[in-house]
Amino acid sequence: MVFLSFVKKIKVAALVAAVLLHGPLFAAQMESAHDLISKMAKASRELNYQGLFTYEYRGNLTSVKLTHAVQDGQIYERMQHMDGVQRNALRRTDNVDCLRTGDMLLRGSAYRLNDQSYARLEDFYEFHIKGQGRIANRQVVMIHVLPKDKHRYGYVVAIDKESGLLLQSVLMSHTGKPLERFQFVDIQIGGSMAELGFDSEASDFSDVALDQGNCIDSNSQITTSASRWSTQWMPPGFVMASHKLVDNQGQESMMFTDGLAVFSVFIDIDKARSLPAIEANLGATVAVLTKAEINNQEYAICVVGEIPRATASQIASAISMSSPPPPSSPASSSPSPSPLTSKSPLP
Amino acid sequence: MSDHKERLDQSLSALMDGEATDMELHRLLKEVSEGSELRDKWKRYHMVSSALKGDAAITPIDYSAAISAAIDEEPSHRQSVLAGFVGSAGRFAIAASVALVAVLGVQQLNSPLDSVAPVSEFAGIEQVDEENVGPAIQFPSGFQPIINARTVSAGGNNKSSQFVTPVIEVRQQAERNYSEAQLRAYMNDVMARHSNHAALNSNQGMLPFARLNEAEAAAEKE
Repeated sequence: MVFLSFVKKIKVAALVAAVLLHGPLFAAQMESAHDLISKMAKASRELNYQGLFTYEYRGNLTSVKLTHAVQDGQIYERMQHMDGVQRNALRRTDNVDCLRTGDMLLRGSAYRLNDQSYARLEDFYEFHIKGQGRIANRQVVMIHVLPKDKHRYGYVVAIDKESGLLLQSVLMSHTGKPLERFQFVDIQIGGSMAELGFDSEASDFSDVALDQGNCIDSNSQITTSASRWSTQWMPPGFVMASHKLVDNQGQESMMFTDGLAVFSVFIDIDKARSLPAIEANLGATVAVLTKAEINNQEYAICVVGEIPRATASQIASAISMSSPPPPSSPASSSPSPSPLTSKSPLP
Repeated sequence: MSDHKERLDQSLSALMDGEATDMELHRLLKEVSEGSELRDKWKRYHMVSSALKGDAAITPIDYSAAISAAIDEEPSHRQSVLAGFVGSAGRFAIAASVALVAVLGVQQLNSPLDSVAPVSEFAGIEQVDEENVGPAIQFPSGFQPIINARTVSAGGNNKSSQFVTPVIEVRQQAERNYSEAQLRAYMNDVMARHSNHAALNSNQGMLPFARLNEAEAAAEKE
């Protein structure tokens, strides 16, 4: 009997040990996958590189030459479409240290929503390292990013082992179907501004408006001007990353991110009369356009993003005006006490 | 004869032929346990069947009552408190070990993403997503309108109709004539703005800008 109980104790101990030991191992793996993703975001911003990548959706393929350089704290980017109509895009970002909401969500272990709640990427995605591979003739680590709910998509990403650059990103539906894919076919890392050909474009860049604003520090959230609009429902984990009040086109816009997925909300006044309610998608991007009539004023509310359509519809239908607009000037915002933030149930 | 009885009789003869469904079998067993009428019928059917086949001895001897009584006599079929406890403890132990296997096993299991090879599947021009199934109407070019109660032709895949558009929208749509060009311009504009947003915030650098080109290209094909 004594012997039997001893055996039993050993069994229990083994069981407990197995469970306890396995937990931390699992956590460590998750952390490192998450770390790699954070490193990726930093690398793609801070390194100099030039490469060719393809963008694919539904059998359509386009190839793009991307050049990225950092000089004097400014980021210079050039994107040249290699097929179809000749097309170049230049972008200059003022501050390489500028962290935006997306960066914070990805990089920080926690992004503070307010005193009580935090948004953590790990609460909404699982990260799994799925081994190694080779992309653009470079060794990569494959990572699967799985959403924990139906409000966002998953990703299969490949991160360059040496530099941490993102070399492949496939957006995956909940049924495991690829929706779109970015993939580098060739990339050179390093190189000066001159080598990357930016010097000859100095004048072009001086015409490009700087992307400014929406930089945040680690403790504060984005400074949002009070909006007349409020969201009654937000998919959990999404926080506002930028907000633009009504411009001269009569458009107000807001942008939300959970650190990986991004969606934008556009509210139009002037164009509202000529737009139908419609839902459309292009590649993995879905656009849900709804219409609302408030105080005899028509509004077109459009949710655009790489999110499931049902979620976009839900967001669109949950947007309402928090207070009636001043009759004279619709552009001025009333001091609404409820800025648009996600109501996250996190501790 | 009531519908119920008729159905039971049909089920019974189906069972005789070995063609009864699980559902029918359940219903028959329930009925048999409640009354003897069906049981008698069962015996009769078998006798008829035997007679037709030319089996000699047709002596209706019912062993069922005796067997039933014998089973009741069997000590092992009586539930003792101790046995019950040991039994459930045993079950618990099995459940616990299964749970342990599950804990250890889950990490070996493939996630849904593992089961597909993104690269090979991409070549096919498949529907993007079950959710995004939409009839292919050519408006605006490049975009696949998903729902549009008024412009969708009948006979498409109407899965999306479960998403109810608010009544007011449909009404406005019916009253007002919008221009395709305007809508396309608007869609491209919001796509462009969104891509710009995404390029700054999705941590994929300028990659989202590639999407933008698709929107413009789609517009230009017109």
